[in-house]
Formats: sequence, structure tokens, C-alpha cells
Amino acid sequence: MFATERRRRSAYLYLTPAALVFLVFTLGPAFFVLYISLFNWNFLNSAQSTFVGLQNYTNLLTSSSFWHSLAISLYFVIGTVPVGLFLALIIAMALMNQFAGRGFVRLAVFSPYVTPVVATSIVWIWIFNPQFGLLNGLLHMAHLPELGWLESQRWAMPGVILYTLWHSLGFDVIIFMAGLSAISADLREAARIDGANRWQEFWSVTWPLLTPTTLFVLIITTIGSLQAFTQFFTMTSGGPLSATTTTSYLLYELAFLFYRTGPAAALAVLLFIIIAGLTALQMLLAQRRTYYQ
Amino acid sequence: MLQRKQSPENRPDQAPAPAAAPHRKIWRRLPWWQWLLGIVLVVIFLFPFYWVIVTSLNGANQVLQFPPVFLPHGQWQNYSRAWSEAPWLRYFANTIFIAGATTLLVLITSLLAGFAFGTMQFWGKTAIFAGFIAMMMIPQTVLLIPDYLVLRDLHWLNTYWAQIVPWSASVFGIFLLRQYFLSFPRELIEAARLDGATETRFIWKIAVPMAKPALITIALYVFLGSWNSFLWPYIMTQSPSVQPIEVGLATFLGTNGTDWTGLSAAVVFTTLPVMILFLVAQRQFLAGAYAATGGVKG
Repeated sequence: MFATERRRRSAYLYLTPAALVFLVFTLGPAFFVLYISLFNWNFLNSAQSTFVGLQNYTNLLTSSSFWHSLAISLYFVIGTVPVGLFLALIIAMALMNQFAGRGFVRLAVFSPYVTPVVATSIVWIWIFNPQFGLLNGLLHMAHLPELGWLESQRWAMPGVILYTLWHSLGFDVIIFMAGLSAISADLREAARIDGANRWQEFWSVTWPLLTPTTLFVLIITTIGSLQAFTQFFTMTSGGPLSATTTTSYLLYELAFLFYRTGPAAALAVLLFIIIAGLTALQMLLAQRRTYYQ
Repeated sequence: MLQRKQSPENRPDQAPAPAAAPHRKIWRRLPWWQWLLGIVLVVIFLFPFYWVIVTSLNGANQVLQFPPVFLPHGQWQNYSRAWSEAPWLRYFANTIFIAGATTLLVLITSLLAGFAFGTMQFWGKTAIFAGFIAMMMIPQTVLLIPDYLVLRDLHWLNTYWAQIVPWSASVFGIFLLRQYFLSFPRELIEAARLDGATETRFIWKIAVPMAKPALITIALYVFLGSWNSFLWPYIMTQSPSVQPIEVGLATFLGTNGTDWTGLSAAVVFTTLPVMILFLVAQRQFLAGAYAATGGVKG
């Protein structure tokens, strides 16, 4: 190899723009938020902040609003992730078979994923409207009791979950279809020849071979659900009576409505630990998968 | 190029997989449940689109009827009313500028970094790459507070800069282009070097045209992400003169929250550009979703 010296130096030059952006707006701030979390931070005048050690964390961990928000987040994660995974897998498997119009169905299922959450959540606020909404109209026609949906403490979260599933399911379906098409048809054929019915074929061939994809979808959607914000902002504003105040929404309230920067930073650090842990798990699993091959 | 020709799947004499034909036949004979499921899925996923168009074209009294009216009534004045009640043109211009500039910058930073990681040898390469990938672990929600303070110190709050520069590098973009350049034919790079082409010239004249599919995928997703973003611009800006369309729409929801026909009209005309982009480039969007699985795909 010639001109090695020059190439070396130019490599660092090529990395500089991206590295600078990450340094100033991602890595630096990540440490900065850790630093802020140890202070009673003065939002208007940073110089007047006072060091309080771990007090923001102990306050948070002993406050009911933190644990309540965590429970709400868990409710949302359970409502979106396992349910979404199950539905996405079924839809993906149905779409693996060739039939006329398959491409159109796939496109229809995927299309909500590209829409802006602000815009389409407005459509669903209207659908959920207790007096004039479509959903209560359908319930009425079916002689079922009408619900308060986003205006009721009990039904607000199911409403947001329903919207989120509609919005994001298509992405999971596409990932599952990619995973399914990577499984060799020969293997399934062999299972069939050995006398396995469709059910046995699924449990003994498709499901085990699909594990890496399933784990990927599981972790990606969990991270996404933990970070979900916009639909809560437009559809419920965390209400009624904090019935939909997730940890991410609480973080927004603390930081930008109440200007309690220190506690909000501590909450951000805790959220980061949870999400980073899940991401690390995902990377580890992805790596193990490549070793197997 | 040579390698491609030798690969088995490109051989013209390759017979189709024998298992496929009878399998397909079975399903062609039993299409009814498949059709039913397909129709149910299409109705569930597309109905909200239909519904917002119907609502946007109905009069106030039809909207407040119960049970609901399922057909539109051609009340186009909802559109002109909604359009006149907010500075939509400004929001559109802001969004196009912010999303366009972000996309362009991401393409440049990803191309340079992806090229370095994919084709060059240098000290600390593995560690630096791992560091870049680790940036994915730090979510936006966590960065809101510190970045707000950083942008305030830079006097960038309530500017375009706050909405462009922090998003001008993308781990996804760098990763995708690195993968791409790793599979780049070595001989081509060496040949270009022997011909005396400079590296920048090589990137510009050969790498960019060849990496076009990857670049288009990155551009589409970055543009879409920028167009659809809400929380970041909502926190970092206050005045409509720099705010993007989704923040404008949320403001409109706040002020005109009970004007359902006007609100629906606003939803339609603010979302239309995204849907057109999606329909035109659906192939690339689906390819991008596959590419996102990155590490998982075998």
C-alpha cells in the first residue's frame, strides 16, 4: 500500500464532521445531563445552581409520581409491544403467501407508519370523540355501551394504545416479512414431508428460526414505546388526572412546564439507563446471531 | 463487476426453485380467507385516511350528526377557512428548508464517515466506530434538557440552526454507507488511485453514483423524520417564523380544537406532501425498513 500516511490523515478528516456533531449534541450533553442531575439547577441562571449530590435521585425514587409514571409506561409498553408483536407476526405470515393484491395490502398496512404523529393522532382524537366520534357511533349501532375514550381515566390509555398500534404496526410487519423470507422454504417443506401439520411446522421450524427477528422487534418497539411522547401530548396531555402520564411525559412536564431542571435531569438519567440497557441487549443478541452463522 | 457475473443467482440458466410451483398452486385454489383478511386489513389501516377526507368535506351539521355520516358533502370552504387561519405557507417553507438542509448535511457527513470506515485503514478505527454506534443508545428524550441549555448558550434557540445542526449526522446513515463501501470492489479503488484520481474526486465521481440506492434510502428517511418531528422543534422554538409544519398543526389544534371540519382539512393538506412522497418512493421506503434491521439480517 502506498500513500498510507496521507490516507490516514484524510480518514480522520472525513470523520470530523460527524464526530463533531455527535460530540457537541449527543455525547457532551449526555454527560452534561448527568452533571445537571446532581444540582438544584437554576433554569434561568445556571451560575446560581447549588450542588445537592444524589438528592434529586432519592427524591425521585421516593416520589409517588415517578413510580406512577413508570407503571403507566409499563401499561403502555405491555399494550403496544406484546400485542403488536403478535398481530404483526400473524399479518406478516398471512402476507407471505402469494395472492393478487398482496403488494397493495402490504402498502396499506405500512402507510400509517410514514405519517406524522401530530396529524394522524388528530384524526383519531376525532374518531374517539365521545359525542360525535365514529367509534362510539359503531358501538351504538352494535347496541354496545358507548365509552368516554380519551376523556375517561379508564379508556384513555387503551385509546392511545389503539392509535399507536395503527401507526406503527406496519413497520414490525415489514421486519417480520424480511425475517420470514430469510427462512429457507426447503426446511419448511422438509418438515411438511415429515408429516408435520401447519401448526407443528410453525412451532418447530419457523418460530425458532425467527427468534433473532422477534428479539429485534421486541427491543426496538419497547425502546420506541418508552420514548413515545407526541401522541400523549396531542391526544391526552398526560390526562385525565395523570392517567396517561408516562415517564417520558413526566420528564417533559418537569423540565419544560415546571422548570424543575435538576429532578428532570435525574429522571432523564434513569430513563437513559433503562433504554441503554435494552439497546445494549439488542446489540449483544445481534452479535451472537452473527457468530452462529 | 466481474464478481457479480460469476455469482450463481445471476446465471440465466438457473432453474426456478422446484418447491415454489406446487406450493403456489395450492394457495391459488384457496384464496377466499386470504382475500377476506386482505380486505379487513386494508379497511382497518386505510379507513382513518378516508375518514379525515370525509370529515374535511362535510359541513358542521353533518359532522355533529349521530350516527356519523359516511359520505363527503363537498364543502371545500373548510379548506379555504383552515388555510386562512394560520401562516401555513410559512410553516411549509420552514419545513422544506429544515428537512432539506438536514438531509443534505446527513448525506455529506454519512458519505465521508462511511467511506472512511468502509475503505480506509487507520489507528483507532474499531474503537471510533463502536463509539459512533454507541450514540444510538442515547435517546432524544434524554438529550432534550442538556441540548436546550447548549443551544441557549449558542444563542440558537428559536432559529433554524437548532433544528438542523444537531440532526446533521446520523448513525443509521453512517452504518448503511459503511456496509455499502465494505462490499465495494477493491480493484476499483486501487485502479482510481493508480490513475491519479484524488480521494475526494473518487468519492464524488465514482462512489456517489454507485452508492445511489443507499443514499436515496437515507435521504428519504432523514427527510421524513425531519418533516414528521415534533417534540424537538416544539421545545427549541417559539415563533411561527421558524417553526415547522407539525408544530404549526399542534398550535392550530390548540386554537381551533373544536372546528373539526377545518382541523381535518388542515390535517389533509399538511400530510398530503408526505403521502405523495411515500407513494412515489414506496419501494425505497420498504427497502429502508429492511435495511433498518441491519445486524439482524443474516
